[in-house]
Amino acid sequence: MRLIDVARVVRSKNAGPLQLTIDLVFPDDSTFERARRSPALTPEAVAHVYGVDPVTVKVIEFGVANAIKIVMNRPIIAGSPGDSDVYGAQQHRPLLDVIL
Amino acid sequence: MSAIARLLDSGLGPSRRLRVLAASGQLGYGIPERAFRAGLARKPHFIGCDMGSIDVGPYYLGSGQLATSERITRRDLRLVLHGALAADVPLIIGTAGTAGAAPHLERTLGLIRSIAMEDGLTFRLATIQADMPRELLKRRISENRTRPLGPIEPLSEPIVDRASNIVAQMGVGAFLRAIDEAPDVIVAGRACDTAVFAALPQRLGYPVAAAMHMAKIIECTSLCCVPGGRDAILATLSGDRFVVESMNPGQAATPLSVAAHSLYEQADPLTVHEPEGTLHLEGARFEALDDRRTTVYGAMFEPASVPTVKVEGAEWCGERAVLAAGSADPRVMENVDAIVESVRATVQEFFPAEDGADFQLIFHMYGHGGVSLFPRVMDGNTSELLFLVECIAEDKDQAHAVISVTKQYLLHHGFPGRLSTGGNIAFPFTPAELPGGTAYRFSIHHLVESDPSDELFGVQAGEVH
Repeated sequence: MRLIDVARVVRSKNAGPLQLTIDLVFPDDSTFERARRSPALTPEAVAHVYGVDPVTVKVIEFGVANAIKIVMNRPIIAGSPGDSDVYGAQQHRPLLDVIL
Repeated sequence: MSAIARLLDSGLGPSRRLRVLAASGQLGYGIPERAFRAGLARKPHFIGCDMGSIDVGPYYLGSGQLATSERITRRDLRLVLHGALAADVPLIIGTAGTAGAAPHLERTLGLIRSIAMEDGLTFRLATIQADMPRELLKRRISENRTRPLGPIEPLSEPIVDRASNIVAQMGVGAFLRAIDEAPDVIVAGRACDTAVFAALPQRLGYPVAAAMHMAKIIECTSLCCVPGGRDAILATLSGDRFVVESMNPGQAATPLSVAAHSLYEQADPLTVHEPEGTLHLEGARFEALDDRRTTVYGAMFEPASVPTVKVEGAEWCGERAVLAAGSADPRVMENVDAIVESVRATVQEFFPAEDGADFQLIFHMYGHGGVSLFPRVMDGNTSELLFLVECIAEDKDQAHAVISVTKQYLLHHGFPGRLSTGGNIAFPFTPAELPGGTAYRFSIHHLVESDPSDELFGVQAGEVH
């Protein structure tokens, strides 16, 4: 199943101007369980989707909210010349098609 | 007796209920009035507002401007000032004027004084400066007691000299010194959102962990509810636990929504770093009190072994001019990368680097990956393309010159297979070139060790008539 079809929230946002965080919130325990076990959401897999170095990607489970948080470095400091997303609010797109 | 003096004198303490009204997560964008009034009706012991954000980008810290409009900022300040003074409870405002440097604090205080004069308000005001002294910062660099908070250049003296404004983010300690001045209203420069709401509870003896966790949740007002919103929220702190409740009856603070808020704009949902220490949320529990209220407890606070402050600075990059133009031609789209590179090369010839006329020409190609920060494979399914082109140069004239040459060569660029020889792009308005203001960038986002003897976060107090 694709992430876009099962997640309740898929959002990206800056966590400060140097980092980007992507929150995946799932509607229930069973979908969360499937997501947290999925090979498609390991740091390596996420790094591959975004074309970045896996050592710069963290994946953190937050079970109390049925959520998975992904943290990456921003390729450019927020708001610097050449930035394309000052708030980092539209960087979730590549994950939507990931198959869990 | 001032509002803070009365509160400190009231005998309130951890065994009693302390009601905290968070009126705004970003004052100046329009505080929803109905929920604020509903909050006042609950007789809060104090009112807190956050007024800042780093999300809006480096322009505001760099330029000293507010991100919010003067009209709505004035309206919001008037609302909370009248609300707090009429109820005779303290009002605390953090990160004045978006970025909390001296010009932002000064403009916010100017608005407050003018409201007081127009409306005949009198009160005792304490202000807290947040500017980082450059000499102190340079000393810390030489002592090797600074470190980057992510992928950004290590600090150096030239970076400090080039920054137009540098602020340090104050924690609870600075607010406690302002509280000692026994004011009615505290207006702070750059501050941790949490300190705005955690300082008075700590002064009253409530446990640090509970006060801090409460502050972390309510600093965005009803964003922690379902549906999330910007309406005022009330937290009731009692001993080591607190209850959160939106002042909009249509918004519910549920255990899931409140717990999930820990994720928001945080790199780590389980640890919150503050100047005085770290809040650990592994043990935090969220329990429904009813269908609109949630009780929270169980966070732990670990005091920092070495106190630190986060320091932020922004520096001037240049003056910006912008061009917006679209295309619906499939041949243009097929060849777009080559077109852009040819036009760039042509423009470069008119502005040779040896003239010292340095500039950046940046193409944001909407419909062709323009939103993504990361390299994306295009699927070619787009039907229209937006060329949003910006030039950043030494001055406005140079930026305008570069962008207008870019416009003309983009319009008439010839390429193999071209059909639309009347022009490659469509302009939505005239002139198609727009002045884009001044460009800044964040040059400082570092952690700096602080000593008790550091002269940071100076407090001033006085009467406002």
